[in-house]
Amino acid sequence: MRLPEQLNERIDRSRPVRFFFAGRVVEGFEGDTIGSALFASGQRVFSRSFKYHRRRGLLCCSGGCPNCMMRVDGVPNVRVCTEPVREGAHVHAQNVLGSLEHDLLAAVDHFGGPFTPVGFYYRTMIRPRSLWPLYERFLRNVAGLGRLDKHAGRTRRFDTEHRRTEVLVIGGGRSGREAARSAAAAGRQVVLVDERGAPADGAFEVLAPARAIGIYEGGLVPVDAGNVLYRFRAERIVVATGALEQPLLFPGNDLVGVHLPGAVRRLVDEWSIKPGERAVIVSADERGLAVADKLERAGTSVVERIDLRSAPPRQLAARGSRGRLRSVVVDGREIECDLLVMSGGRQPAYSLLAQAGARVEYDAERGIFVPSDLPSNVEAVGSAAGEQEPAAVPAATFEGAEGAGRCFVCVCEDVTEKDVKRAIAEGFDSIELGKRYTTVTMGPCQGRLCHVPSIRLFARENETDEKAIGTTTARPPWAPVSLGLLAGRGHEPTKRTSIHHRHEEAGATMMWTGFWRRAHSYEHAANEALNVHRGVGVIDVSTLGKLLVQGPDAARFLELLYPNRFGDMKVGRIRYGVLGTDAGRIMDDGTIARLGEDQYYVTTTSTGADTVIEWFEWWNAVWGLDVETVNLTGALAAVNVAGPRSRELLGRLAQIDTSNEGISYLDAKETYVAGVPCLILRIGFVGELGYELHFASPYGEYLWDALLEYGADLGIRPFGLEPQRILRLEKMHILVGQDTDSESNVLEAGMPWIAKLDKEDFVGKWALEHVQERGFREQLVGFEMTDGVVPAEGGQIVLGGRPAGRVTSSRLSPQLGRAIGMAWVRPELAHEGAEIDIKVNGGFARACVRLKPFFDPEGERLRS
Amino acid sequence: MSELHFLSPDRARSEDLFAPRFASPLARVLAGTTSVLDLSQLGKIEVRGDVDAIDVEAEVVRITPRRALVLCPYEQCAELRARLPGLVIDMTGALAGLELEGEQAMRRLTDLDLEGLPAAGKVAEVPALVLRDGSRFRIFFPQEFAHYVGEVVLDVLEGIE
Repeated sequence: MRLPEQLNERIDRSRPVRFFFAGRVVEGFEGDTIGSALFASGQRVFSRSFKYHRRRGLLCCSGGCPNCMMRVDGVPNVRVCTEPVREGAHVHAQNVLGSLEHDLLAAVDHFGGPFTPVGFYYRTMIRPRSLWPLYERFLRNVAGLGRLDKHAGRTRRFDTEHRRTEVLVIGGGRSGREAARSAAAAGRQVVLVDERGAPADGAFEVLAPARAIGIYEGGLVPVDAGNVLYRFRAERIVVATGALEQPLLFPGNDLVGVHLPGAVRRLVDEWSIKPGERAVIVSADERGLAVADKLERAGTSVVERIDLRSAPPRQLAARGSRGRLRSVVVDGREIECDLLVMSGGRQPAYSLLAQAGARVEYDAERGIFVPSDLPSNVEAVGSAAGEQEPAAVPAATFEGAEGAGRCFVCVCEDVTEKDVKRAIAEGFDSIELGKRYTTVTMGPCQGRLCHVPSIRLFARENETDEKAIGTTTARPPWAPVSLGLLAGRGHEPTKRTSIHHRHEEAGATMMWTGFWRRAHSYEHAANEALNVHRGVGVIDVSTLGKLLVQGPDAARFLELLYPNRFGDMKVGRIRYGVLGTDAGRIMDDGTIARLGEDQYYVTTTSTGADTVIEWFEWWNAVWGLDVETVNLTGALAAVNVAGPRSRELLGRLAQIDTSNEGISYLDAKETYVAGVPCLILRIGFVGELGYELHFASPYGEYLWDALLEYGADLGIRPFGLEPQRILRLEKMHILVGQDTDSESNVLEAGMPWIAKLDKEDFVGKWALEHVQERGFREQLVGFEMTDGVVPAEGGQIVLGGRPAGRVTSSRLSPQLGRAIGMAWVRPELAHEGAEIDIKVNGGFARACVRLKPFFDPEGERLRS
Repeated sequence: MSELHFLSPDRARSEDLFAPRFASPLARVLAGTTSVLDLSQLGKIEVRGDVDAIDVEAEVVRITPRRALVLCPYEQCAELRARLPGLVIDMTGALAGLELEGEQAMRRLTDLDLEGLPAAGKVAEVPALVLRDGSRFRIFFPQEFAHYVGEVVLDVLEGIE
């Protein structure tokens, strides 16, 4: 099937390559594409069309049209005309029920026509609505492109690489290479990307085969190089994407055997294949007519040449049988042929330029859309800029002939001339609406072949010109790109504490809190909570946000930020603080320890740390106070040692007097613990005697191990986040974000003592004063279930059949043996013992409002 | 005013029963690897204030006009802390660091301009400081991301091989 050796052929006949197609072995040569090897083996039908399942052949043979998409080694929608052959590849047809030759779904083409016009499913498949999922599944099964294997994992590796260059040339044709060479000669750093595999050049770097898929702001050009997505940042972008051969619109224009000139050129020149026996050429330009020479050299007889520039016919139609071209009818004359080369001229490939911000205008004389007003960093050269030989402007469509079949405007989505006319008649007369309704230009070719013809048709049907119709918006990606390439490697930024691996080794169930991985529990959350009440437990709280606030204005800074007071604190003491927004809403909470006259150590919630740090820096910049804020979150590990026996344990390790007099509740002290310098904060989030140790992160594992070792005889056990949540709920300590939302303020959240409204000013003060004036709309309270059932968090509180609040936290307390929780309720319910009904499993459960902590209400154990 | 001893890993002391063990956050992920060096135990001291007044025998990386990071051998931390001007914060434990070879690997890790280093930006999607010495690169980043960054770096190197 091959011609004798040609001068510039790309194949290496000494190196055969074999692959599998439809159960047979196909042999090609190194340098072949799967498509060319199949064509050489006699294959003419390469796909079945999207909707009508019509036979389709190699229309463009240059990776533009959808006609040769197949599944190659499990990857769907591979354009085999540009996919290099590889030994042992498994190639399959897609979107067929049966084979390419005998596709049962082709029934749609024979019988479905009248019932399946454009947009038919919007009209005929809308009732009953409940059946839409069935319709959808049906449509998906009979129409469309390839299928993904739902059970397949990652089969290929995709990487992303950031590149910078002075000049990026897109397109390796004559103009592109010239531009690259002259830029390189001027001493610029140049990279040229070419989708066809341009040869290397000593003067500049060539990246091929690689395809620029868009131009984004800031000169960002993503380039698809198969397994690597290059994100180019270029100072100057030269677009040399050339021009796209345009098809003609006539009945039968989708038959197998109808080609664009480029397909014929490539088949003959690159792969030495004879494309047919008898050819007819219909062309609007010289390039199209010029393939006659090639065809004759390949032994194909050119039986008719029709030059649309001099003698455009009125009638042009192709007839075929079994989807293959048999003859062409031109003004009443029927010419037998098996090859029809059609050329409607060439349209500059301006999409990337339009994405970059260029204007696109219709040039009526040449019948093409031309880019203008390019951004200063972008240049267009060669055909992409509109440089090309004169061509005739072809008619929107040609008159048909009996038996010639449909006239396709868009081969990707099977949109016919009739469909477009119908859409316009239905009122979709603008190109943007018509595009969305008919899906013309929305298929895999992204308008390469149908954009200009559809605009021309819209113009004729609307009795106006192409300029008035205008173009549709060009958006990336300019060429199909696999989602795997866009996604890149599947890495997820993750924060781990320096003790993280100890939790994993202990078999903890890990959970996400923001970016952090934390231990949910080690064995049984309730037992871990009980162990804190009865002995001693240890929890990794390294995730807490930690800030140093230092400078002469440190106290003033904090007093302005927080509703509380900090200037009156003694050095070495700790105070609880709630940070508010400008609108007085609760933003975060934590403890503030005064380490020196002008030095405070602030902790925040784990997930709020970044926001709080930004908040501090922002206000510091606004107020211009003499204070520095330093983020120490990662610098320090922190563990909370809690429980009645924690003092005994600390006494064994720390170099200070751990008695209640030595370090009392809300004291902050620095000392060595097991040889590691620590800041000890005596606080009690979990409601028992407890010490938070803050120390340099590199000693996380060491100190954790030491605590467990020296506390073993005291029954020490680590506890996770879930037992901590139980314990804090018993104390009615709030969790910001869980018990509060973006509307909550400290007054209504039951912490009026936080807000020192007599202070001169603080962030959000006006808002709290307003709340004070208007009175409370809801209040955060505790509740205790009377029958022990634990309501869902978020559950509704109902009073007299009307909503009266919502549950924010709820747990079963193993210590108390009761179901407890916190909830926002209407103010009239916010009194000790008020009875409320909570919606539980469709019914109601009774609960009693509690205002004091459920456990150790007077805080005796904390202070013990 | 506290001297913040609890921030400085080098102040830990072995005594009697205790022998504090410094652990790098990269230790596990880089175990068995020779292509990437762990710099986590390098001394890293942040200075805020008049960075022009810094006069020490150590590598000084300016981050902003009034912020710098001083890199030094771990053993020199104590001496440098005492000699540096302004607000001096020991960031040795806060920042993990690694050193690797190859521009292509860096291009897959960061969109920073590799001709414009040192610079601060994102490496493997996390905030980092990148320094360059010929074809070798040093990256410093929050230690809590260390294991993750280590995984990404090894993965990237594997993709290039």
